[in-house]
Amino acid sequence: MIELPLILVGGLLGSAHCIGMCGPLAVSLSAGATAGTNHLARQLVFSLGRVFTYGFCGAVAGLGGAWISSDSRSFVLSQAWLAILAGAVLLLMGLVTAGVLPRPAVKRLGGLPCGTAGWLKTFLTAPGWSAVLVAGVFTGFIPCGLVYAFLLKAGSSGSMWQGLLTMVAFGLGTIPLMVAVGYGGQFLSIVGRSRLFRVAAWCIVLTGAISIARGYAQLDPPTDMATAPCPLCEAQPLE
Amino acid sequence: MNQDASERYCAFCGLPVPASFALGVDSPADEIEYCCSGCRTVASVTEAEREQGAAAGGLLRLGLAVFFTMNVMVFTMALWSQDVYTDPSFSTPLAVILRSVFRWAALVFALPVLYLLGRPIAAGVWQALRRRAITTDLLILLGVSAAYAYSVVSVLRGSGHVYFEVSSMVLVFVSLGRWLEAKGKRRTGESLDALARLLPETVRRQTPQGEFLETPRGEVRTGDVVRVLPGERFAVDGRISAGRATVDQQIVTGESQTVAKSVGDLVFSGTLNVDGDLRIEVTAADGSETVSRILNMVRAARGAKGRHERLADRIAVWFIPAVCTIAIVAGWRQGQLAGWDQGILTALAVVLIACPCALGLATPLAVWTALGRAARSGVLFRSGLVLERLAYLRHACFDKTGTLTTGVPAASELLTAGHEDRQRVLQVAADVAGGSTHHLSQAIVRYAEQTLNERIDSEPASVETLPGRGLASELPGLGRVVLGSRWFMKETGLEWPDTIPDKVGEARQQVGIGWDGIVRGVFQFHEQLRPETTVALAACRQLGLELRMLTGDESSRASAIVEQLDISADSNQLPEEKAATLQSLAQEGGVAMVGDGLNDAPALATADVGVALGCGADISRDAAGVCLLGDDLRRFPWSVGLARQTIRVVKQNLFWAFAYNGAGIALAATGRLNPIWAALAMAASSILVVVNSLRLGQFPEPTPLSDEASSGTMTDAVSWPRPAADGPPPRLASTSP
Repeated sequence: MIELPLILVGGLLGSAHCIGMCGPLAVSLSAGATAGTNHLARQLVFSLGRVFTYGFCGAVAGLGGAWISSDSRSFVLSQAWLAILAGAVLLLMGLVTAGVLPRPAVKRLGGLPCGTAGWLKTFLTAPGWSAVLVAGVFTGFIPCGLVYAFLLKAGSSGSMWQGLLTMVAFGLGTIPLMVAVGYGGQFLSIVGRSRLFRVAAWCIVLTGAISIARGYAQLDPPTDMATAPCPLCEAQPLE
Repeated sequence: MNQDASERYCAFCGLPVPASFALGVDSPADEIEYCCSGCRTVASVTEAEREQGAAAGGLLRLGLAVFFTMNVMVFTMALWSQDVYTDPSFSTPLAVILRSVFRWAALVFALPVLYLLGRPIAAGVWQALRRRAITTDLLILLGVSAAYAYSVVSVLRGSGHVYFEVSSMVLVFVSLGRWLEAKGKRRTGESLDALARLLPETVRRQTPQGEFLETPRGEVRTGDVVRVLPGERFAVDGRISAGRATVDQQIVTGESQTVAKSVGDLVFSGTLNVDGDLRIEVTAADGSETVSRILNMVRAARGAKGRHERLADRIAVWFIPAVCTIAIVAGWRQGQLAGWDQGILTALAVVLIACPCALGLATPLAVWTALGRAARSGVLFRSGLVLERLAYLRHACFDKTGTLTTGVPAASELLTAGHEDRQRVLQVAADVAGGSTHHLSQAIVRYAEQTLNERIDSEPASVETLPGRGLASELPGLGRVVLGSRWFMKETGLEWPDTIPDKVGEARQQVGIGWDGIVRGVFQFHEQLRPETTVALAACRQLGLELRMLTGDESSRASAIVEQLDISADSNQLPEEKAATLQSLAQEGGVAMVGDGLNDAPALATADVGVALGCGADISRDAAGVCLLGDDLRRFPWSVGLARQTIRVVKQNLFWAFAYNGAGIALAATGRLNPIWAALAMAASSILVVVNSLRLGQFPEPTPLSDEASSGTMTDAVSWPRPAADGPPPRLASTSP
């Protein structure tokens, strides 16, 4: 899968976007721990919990995609459409994040639902590994546009394992920044962050464009061509 | 009034434990009881928070169970994916081995779920069994265990379906649903908790040595002397023994204006000492002071069951045996048709979908929320039954004096013998009356101020108060001026001019003023409508109530008010006659009697619903089913509105519960419902009922009167503070000197 590394990068850079919501959780993870605990390990366990949830959701999406594809008349066709849809959503998300498009109702997903914060905090501040892991697992379920966009992508893969891999790649990508934030606090300046934001945004746009291109290629299989066209060539970001 | 209060209360949410199907007599159990496994779990968490630090208990258990269930699901999905799509790799030897590995993995990961979530449910089942009660939890537990056991056998045999995901997901959904349900139930008491939190935890009690030491509220006894500083709330009821202060009594009386209190006056718990350093002698200690009495009354009201609730109870008792039978029959039939596994799943689905949670919650939750909501606005219901009756009201009868009117007459007219200078008489009367605080004197001063259009700051040289008669004062140039009743005028030897008539029309009272042997003028007093009466009656009419005024006064006196309010009236009514009128009205439908509860107690007791105005601290008045703490008449139509809304919510809940259970059982019994969906539906249904009921907590306040109307004796709604999320209870700021 050519996208997996790209998805990893998308996650890595896209997680700058996540800091707004999940960052405070990671920070409170350190704040709540008693002296002498291994902060880095706590952060890693927390992130593993998140990745676990992403993987789980990816598997569900993959299976769901497979089920939809098998149900409809042409297996290839619906998979292609899913890929195009996922690509379109990613593209839009990326463009919105980059500031090219105005920010629509995405704002509504921007705040942690108030009810959740309370009991999530119970886990975050509790001693012991299991609580931290569980906190990570539940954090993975927090509504996030980026996660949903990648979930669509996972669904378009049309296989449970590939869906799982897609989301795990995305999740692993988010680990470095989240751990860094949780471990060292706010280390990036505002300018640095906004610059990172832009790079991340275009990275997501690229992933989306590739997804669309692949879906399009599947939709209209080029019978006379020996190899599929390079998706990168077709999908230059709209600068 | 039916008072078959349930004696058992849940140790977590404080709500009565619902009736359940029991085989035999309850054993007298002293153990801690919970109304559902949700409350048990949440209680174990809060317990753990207190003892061993956060999340040591149930919440972590639930979280871990979710984690393990997700694992089970991944492995199960891997098995499913072969049914969904084909892939050449599925038939390789590796894939066959993998499939076996996935089955074992699902088995292993489902085990902790069974342990983590099954145990608290099992604890509840065990407790119920010891009381010889059979609960749906027992059936759920049996079904889940059977599904797991069947799957284990399949794995060991190497063939057959596995249903680990069923047992895990069912347990997760059931626990999650119960959890949220328990949280919701507890919120029905939020309004009351907010009130309870008003009382300071500690008080400054005087020791025998005369020092003031901070003492926990519970240790204060009647007769102790307690010091209360400015800005503090009284923790107990007491009588002021030293100091004077302005007191904000809104919590208890609904009166937004502060009251000046000094030595000998009573103060009530929960009220606010605005500016005085007081010593009070405790008259009612913790647990029996005003706020506790209010809380106890609302709590007691929860125990008394209404019609809908008893219906639900009766059904709930027969539910379990019925569900048992359906589950066994349907399971057996499906077992015959499609194999044992389908039989087990069918029975489990029936049990899950038929769980009477929603049915049991439908009425009490709505009623309890409404009782709490009403209490927050200063309306106390004596029971849920009263609330129900209020909703089906057709007639509302009002007492006149003190209910439709303020009970404090206003001077409306000054009659003078033709040749007198009215201005001068008024001026003199105001000067004399200004030296007294009697309400008639105050009314005269107000009348003079309005008529003369100026503020009267008289300095009465020496006004002599003759209790029960009137006032007398020596004024320069006039000599001895007296102000008082007709009888007092005669007694003092003043001549009542023929040109001034005796009590005219509907005037309630007359006060004369005179000097130099002649009565110079006579003030006529009229009853004054409450500023909110018109609005309140209009609201009643809008609710479709038929209104009637019952008064002991003569019809000539009542006529002006009758005209003004356009209300049918029965005058000259003795208390027994009032009761008879109410009884005859009751033939046509529910009747409420609204009064101030002082002189119309028999009528209040006779009516289907007695509504007492201005109960204030004296909520123990037994005659009334509804106590309005303040004396804002608009609270009556408001209460009727709240009651109707409550009954609407109850009906929605009951309808939903019946429809959902009926349709669900039909689906499940025919084997068309997977237990996972059944469990999800069960949780969703309970939460729907909880959320629907909690909406009543947001029932809006009546719109305030316009400024023009609200001047005067208008009282604002009692506004208790909104419940703070988890604010610390009010404590004393500093220790005593």
